Order: sequence, then structure tokens, then C-alpha cells
Amino acid sequence: MPERGVSAGIRDRADPRMVLADRVDQLYGQMWLGILGTFAIGAIASFEFWSPRLRDLVLIWWCIVLLVTAGSAALLYGYRRAGDRSQNAAQWMRWLAIAAFASGATWGGAGAIFFPSHTDEQQVFIAFVLAGMMSGGIPVYAASWPIFALYAAGIVAPFTYVLGTFGNRLFTEIALLVPIFYAINVAIAYRLTQVFHSGYRLRHAYGKLTDDYSVLNQRLERQLGELEEARRQVEASGRKLALFADKAPIAVLEIDPQGLVTQINPGAELLFGYAAAEMVGRHVKECLVLPELRPDFDRQWAHLVESRAPLSALKIRSPRRDGLQVVCEWTVTPLVNSDGTILSVIAQGQDVTRQLEAERMKKEFTSTLSHELRTPLTSIIGSLQLINSGVLGDLEKDVAELTAVAERNGTRLLDLINDLLDIEKIESGKLTLIPEAFDLGELVRESLVLNKAFAERFKVRFQMAADARAGTRVHADRKRLLQVMTNLLSNAAKFSPEGGAVDVTLDASGHAIRVGVHDRGPGIPEAFRSRIFGRFAQADSTAARQKSGTGLGLAISKRLVEMMQGRIGFEPREGGGTTFWFELPVHVAQPEREPSVS
Amino acid sequence: MPARPLTKVCYVEDDEDIQRIVRLSLERLGKMTVETVSDPLRAIEAMTRFGPDLVLLDWMMPGMDGPTLFRAMRDKPETASLPVIFITAKASTVEMTELTALGAAGAISKPFNPKELPDQLREIWAKLP
Repeated sequence: MPERGVSAGIRDRADPRMVLADRVDQLYGQMWLGILGTFAIGAIASFEFWSPRLRDLVLIWWCIVLLVTAGSAALLYGYRRAGDRSQNAAQWMRWLAIAAFASGATWGGAGAIFFPSHTDEQQVFIAFVLAGMMSGGIPVYAASWPIFALYAAGIVAPFTYVLGTFGNRLFTEIALLVPIFYAINVAIAYRLTQVFHSGYRLRHAYGKLTDDYSVLNQRLERQLGELEEARRQVEASGRKLALFADKAPIAVLEIDPQGLVTQINPGAELLFGYAAAEMVGRHVKECLVLPELRPDFDRQWAHLVESRAPLSALKIRSPRRDGLQVVCEWTVTPLVNSDGTILSVIAQGQDVTRQLEAERMKKEFTSTLSHELRTPLTSIIGSLQLINSGVLGDLEKDVAELTAVAERNGTRLLDLINDLLDIEKIESGKLTLIPEAFDLGELVRESLVLNKAFAERFKVRFQMAADARAGTRVHADRKRLLQVMTNLLSNAAKFSPEGGAVDVTLDASGHAIRVGVHDRGPGIPEAFRSRIFGRFAQADSTAARQKSGTGLGLAISKRLVEMMQGRIGFEPREGGGTTFWFELPVHVAQPEREPSVS
Repeated sequence: MPARPLTKVCYVEDDEDIQRIVRLSLERLGKMTVETVSDPLRAIEAMTRFGPDLVLLDWMMPGMDGPTLFRAMRDKPETASLPVIFITAKASTVEMTELTALGAAGAISKPFNPKELPDQLREIWAKLP
């Protein structure tokens, strides 16, 4: 039968320990009936058995009844108080078996002792009591047939023995019947035990099922909650993304793998002048790629779809709806499924038209500075130099003074332009050095010669220590290093007192060689020290005007020295003045390869 | 070193102010004869007529720049062997190396000092074969 199969299946889910515990609980739950019955019937029986002849025996038996009932009551009390009922169910079952057997044996003993020594009526009473006690045990011990069997055996065995050995035919016949009754009773108890056992198993199985269902239910509810939360989060991040795309000042397009526009943001509408409805559904190249660039676009698009690799910094000139053109820098990202198929392509474009225009203007400006300003200056300075050289005839003193002023300032303007161009080149990374290996000492000496005129103008002497290390080679850009030296020397000359000397030293230590330019000037004001290598740095503008200079020399020198893997710095000089220095790594010549010895 | 001294110089330069300065410098200071040419397209013709010892070429000129003119000169037998010095503000080392390989005698960077120009030319002249 399918139902039975099902229920048997369900029963198997019950925990056997729980089933046993339930049976033990049932047994102890009915125990008070047994105790009460034993006590009450024991009292009546003792009264019935009483005779002066058997006084001691009856008293002893009564005491045993009291002992058994008290022991049983104590056991029941202990069980009720115990916390380990379900864990130790088997142990409690054993204690109960002992109590049951003791109780049965008390009655069996009563039958054995008192049956032979009483009258016929009293014998009927004893048989009646014993039969009652035995059958009363069935419901009391129904949850465990072995306990009932022990209990009933305690009653039946001594009584049967007495009946069998009484010598009376009737009693002998009864003695033969008693074990049959016993067997029948035990069989009934066995059957009842089965029923209870099965009942308890079912109860636990269903209980467990219910528990399982409620656990499942809880889990489902939790998962539903999590799903709901996840949905909310996805929705929120979707809204956030939409907000980003909507409010971003960049154009965002969603394009399908075939190149058809599926969605555009307001930024794109604004940038290209199309309403979203006008672009969606059209091929992106029709709207945003110039006809002559379309073959290029097709190639790149095919590559993008095939490689699925995002592209960035892609500059494309696009026509607007109104015919104007904009240049955008695009980041193109294919959205790829976990199985590798492209869902769509997100293109984010930033209008760089103005930026490019600014870059172009800057380039133009630089080139204007470089050529258009320098050409007239070349003429101005050249003319003045010729006049001041005296080859065109002697000048009146005042005129000579003024043309000298004009020449000096023209030169200063040219220096400023050259410095500006240098710093622009350095900062845009366009300055390339041409390094070569040379003797740094020689270069320093050369720089002193080249700047001699400058020193004379400020009535200062450049002097190089006689023992200055020569022969130390460096690997650097000669021309640019001369520029650095010129800067340091002219600064030192400008700030030295008239008639003073600027000392130049060379010290090689380990892997570096240091060039020092030491002046006896006023020193560098504390507040100015931190920005001395910055652009347009001058300690105070009055001094600068007097001394002339662009304020870019040290900034350029620092960058040049650093480009040559060197360091530059300054420190106050002992006894007043300042030392500016730079250090370059000593060039280690690659050793010539030894010819191999064969 | 050429046997004769440097006396005749042809200068191709579109800026007339600089022309004048160079002419004054070379004539007054350097005691040379200077022929200046403003239009680079007519330069070869002028050189052929004038027969200079040395040619000075400006780098940037409208119509034809210095390096192009230099290459054109190399193609004409009349001017192919003339020593050429560039006056330039912008020649990169790479370009200069290339032109030296083609036979340019040297370069003078712009702006130059007109007081020193004759000596600079004579220095380069002295190194010529």
C-alpha cells in the first residue's frame, strides 16, 4: 500500500533516541498508578492475611511493600527532577525495570508464602489479587513489554511453583495454565508496545518534518528578503548610473554590436545636436563619423567587436547635426556577457575641441615667441652691438651710455624669451638632451672664460682653485651643462660685492662629482629659500630690476641637472655668502673588451 | 685651409635689417665684400654672377628654405663646390648632422654677435680643405 510505504518512510525519519525517551516518559508518567495501587492493595492484602500465627511474616511482607512503594516513589521523584531524562532514557528504563521486577516479585512472594497457609476463600482472594495485579500491569507497562514480562514473571513464577508443588490436582492444572496466561499477557503487552512505539515514531517523524519545513520556510523567507534587497540595490544603482549618465557633461552612447545606437544621454544630445529619438535606431557612423573616415571606423569597429577589448583616448572628429564639427575623445567599452557575447558597447565621449584649439594656440604662441620675436630682437641687438663696438665711429658719451642700456636690455629680453622657451620645452617633455662623455673640469674652465665679460661688468673675479679636480668625466649634455654653469656664475657675479671673487670648486667623492660656485653676496633670505628653484623666483623685485634676470635660470638649471641624473642645491657659505652646487654621477667608461686568449 | 683669404661672401636672407647688419659687420669689421640676396629663388643666379668664396644661408625663408636651397646648389655644377654656412635659430642636431654630411661647412646660431661674426666665419674658413 502506498500510504503505508509513505508513513513507513516518514517513520524512519524519527530519531530513535527521542522515541525511547517518549516511551520512558510514558512509563514514568503512569508509575504513580502502580505505586498507589501497590500500596492500597498491599494494605488490604496485609489486613486480609493477618492472623496471630502469621503475624511476623505479614509484618515483614508489609514492610517489603512499603519499601518497594517508597523506592518506586523515590525513583519517580528522581526522574521528575532529572535534567537528563531524554539523554539517559535507557538508564532510566533499566531503573524502572528493577523497580517493576521488585514490585512483581513482592506480589509473587506474597502468593508463594501466604497461599499454602490460608483457607480456600483466602486462596481465592490471593489468586484474584495476583491475577488483578498482573493484568493491571499491562496498561501500566504497555510502553515496554520486557518490563511487563519481568514484572509479570516476578508475580507468576513463585506462585506457579507453589501451585505446581501443592499436591492438589486442580492447583496443578492451574499451574499449567498460568504460564499460558502469562504468555498471552506478554504477547498483548508486546503488541501494545509496538503500537506505542510506532505512535511515538510517527509523532517524532512528523515533528521533525514540521521542523524541517519551518527551517525550509525560514530559509526561503530569508532568501526572498535577500532577493528583495538585491533588487532594491540593483534598482538604486541603476538609478545612480542613469543619474550619472544623465547629468554627466560627457556624451554617453549605448550601441549594439551591429553599430546601431540604442540609447543616448542628454550630454550626447547637447554635444551633437540630435534628439535621442533621431539617433536611436540609426547606425552610429551615419550620425557621428565623417564620410571619409567611415572605412576607418568600420575597420576599428570590427576589431573592437572581435577583440572585445576596450579602447580609450580615441580622438575622432565628428559632424554635428548643424554641420559644425567637434572633436571628441572617446572611451569605448564593450559590455561582455559571461559567455563572451557582446551585449552592447558603451561609448563615452568628451568634447576636446576647445582643448585642442588651446593646444594649437599654445604651439603657435611658442613658435611666434621663438621666431617672430627673436628675429626683430636679433636686428635690434645686432645693430646696437655694431654701434657699441665702435667700428661705425666714436659716439658721444651720453649716446654711448644710452645705446649700451639699449643693448643690455635687448639682451635681457632675448634671455627671457630663451628661458621661457626652455622651460616650456622642458615642461612639455620636448627637450631632448644630447649626452656625451667629457671632462667636467674642462667644461667648468670653459664656462669661466665664456662668462668673463659678465664678471667684468659686475667688477667681480671668477677664480678656480688650482687643485680643482680635473680629469673627472661625466656623461651629460655639454651645451646644457654650460647653460647651468652660466646661470650659477651670472647669479654669483650679480650678487657679489664689487671687487669680490667668486670661487669655483670641483670635488669628486665616490660616484659623484660636485661643482660649487661660492659667492660673498648677501645670502638668501630665509623666506625665499623654499621657492628659489621655482619659476620666476626672485628674492625681491627691486634687486632683480637692478641686477637684471628672468627668474627662470635656477628653475631651468634644476630641471636640466635632474634630467642628467644629478642634484642641485645651495647652502649658506661660512663667513657670509652662498654656495650653489650641483652634482653629477661620475662617468665610468665601459672597459674595452679584452681580446680573448686562445 | 684654402690658400686665399676669405674676401667674398654671398648672404641669402629675406630680412633686410639682418642683411644690413651682416653686411656692415662683414664689410666694416671683416673687410670683406658682401653680396646679399633677398629672394632665395634667385640666389643661385646671383652666386653664379658674383662668384663668392663662401655662402651664408638663412634657414627659414619664404619661398624656399635654406636646406632646400642648399640641396639645389649641390645639383648645379656652378655652385656645387661652394662652402655653405647656415645661420639659424632652429636647426636640430639631427638636421645639422644630415647637412654636414651633404657638405655644409658649419652653422652659426642666431642671434649672433655681429662683432664676432667675421672671426667666426674666418674660423670656419680656416678649417676648410
